[in-house]
Amino acid sequence: MRSRIFFVLLMITLGLLGWGTYQALVVAPPEATMGDAQRIFYYHVPAATAASILFWCNFAASLWYLWKRSPVADAMAVTGAEVGVVFFSVVLISGPIWARYAWGTFWVWDARLTTSLILWLLYVSYLVLRNSSEVGSTSVLAASLAVFAALDMPIVYMSNRWFRTSHPQPMIGTPNLNPEMQKVLLWNMLAFCLFALMIAWFRYELERISQKINHLHIQKAAHGSMAMALPLMFFFADDKLLREKMVQHHYMVAGYVAVWTIYIGYLLFLMRKLARLKKEEAELRAG
Amino acid sequence: MKAAQAKAGRRSMSISRLTWINVAKDLRLEWRSRDVLNSMLFFSLLVVVIFSFAFSPTAEESRRMVGGLVWTAFLFSTIMALNQSWARELRNGVLDAYRVSPAPAEALFFGKCLGNFILVMLLECLMAPLFVVFYNLSSVGPLWQLAVIAVLGTWALVVNGTFFAAMSIRTRNRELMLPLLLLPISIPAVVAMVTATTDVLTGDFSPMSQIKFLAGYCVIFTTACFLLFQTVLNAE
Repeated sequence: MRSRIFFVLLMITLGLLGWGTYQALVVAPPEATMGDAQRIFYYHVPAATAASILFWCNFAASLWYLWKRSPVADAMAVTGAEVGVVFFSVVLISGPIWARYAWGTFWVWDARLTTSLILWLLYVSYLVLRNSSEVGSTSVLAASLAVFAALDMPIVYMSNRWFRTSHPQPMIGTPNLNPEMQKVLLWNMLAFCLFALMIAWFRYELERISQKINHLHIQKAAHGSMAMALPLMFFFADDKLLREKMVQHHYMVAGYVAVWTIYIGYLLFLMRKLARLKKEEAELRAG
Repeated sequence: MKAAQAKAGRRSMSISRLTWINVAKDLRLEWRSRDVLNSMLFFSLLVVVIFSFAFSPTAEESRRMVGGLVWTAFLFSTIMALNQSWARELRNGVLDAYRVSPAPAEALFFGKCLGNFILVMLLECLMAPLFVVFYNLSSVGPLWQLAVIAVLGTWALVVNGTFFAAMSIRTRNRELMLPLLLLPISIPAVVAMVTATTDVLTGDFSPMSQIKFLAGYCVIFTTACFLLFQTVLNAE
């Protein structure tokens, strides 16, 4: 029953992702000054939304764990943090690719960028702690750290509030956003949030299997995928020589490739982990 | 009879008295060995010297950069002290003793915090003249503001640091974990300390909003540490 629902949802998600990508690449009107490079926006923003939802899930699950000590809550917490870090890596990689075109530089120490980086660092440190603490105390220590991480975020935002930001302001529902673009964005948001849900579900089931055979083995999600996508950033150093249209197009393609490298890389990582856990379980049962 | 009396005596021991016993024990140990203070002092001294070679700033430049420099030096020497303070207890099995004793864990935590706070403040008092001499410093803003920033900033570092040190000694790679956990959480406080110190030294802006922010940060995180310390101490 459960797997049937999973399968149906998976089909819907894949359909929506295809539809969203079609909308973003073909249907949405090109932006006046940034052209194709602006299309990165259609998965940069949805990934950020999905990641923040996942981080909130991590906080809620951690509080639940501290209160009830339920392994379900622990599995949810680790799912929220790990999948959140993957989606947030997408945000942190697609953003600079766009920024290289729009601002001429990959990174500025702007309030929004700084807070995002700190948020990412906080949850990576959460995963590192989970990875290296002694078996048995992992869940409690991690849950306490999650509370601190969630407490830190509003403070980080406050500490940055007096900086002027060059990051674009939120635009959904404001006249600044072309209604057609908004429609495309909302489609993509739905698609990517569902996608996040599916990955999270998958990751959660994995964690439950891993709990059941008492072999917690959580690995840093962002590590591998970051290393894969980083070389792409240095690909576009001398863009002045190329024609502007092509350049915009290249940025768009680079953004898409980088993002899907991360998503697919993470999925492959999960698949491998599932195969390993299954094998281990079979061996344990046979022995 | 005697045991009962001892039990009653322990029960009547207030948290402040227990805290004081912890602080006194830590300071006595430190006074006898002087391991931590010496290494902290030497490390900060090295930072001062290396940075002045690396940048060789003029008096005007040093006013702008010394805020960041001072707090970087203190942050890393604090991490040294924090690692030591719990490692000692782990070696001698004091933590297990504490888990089975009826004394509240908060007293242990508060005692550790105060002990580390006194050590780091001592370090800051000893290092301040050196910074003045090596960087040819003179403050444009009022000095009492610097003292307030030092107290609040040190407390912000020490309270979170003591908590996360207790957490990181539970992990496999003990000393390595502390900076990984502490630094991301402390970034807002460090930014506020550095900005406030620079504001006082250059006299360009009022540091009051940063000082208020630091005070708020201290209150929030002290509360969180006290609420969660028992959980972390007993995590199994």
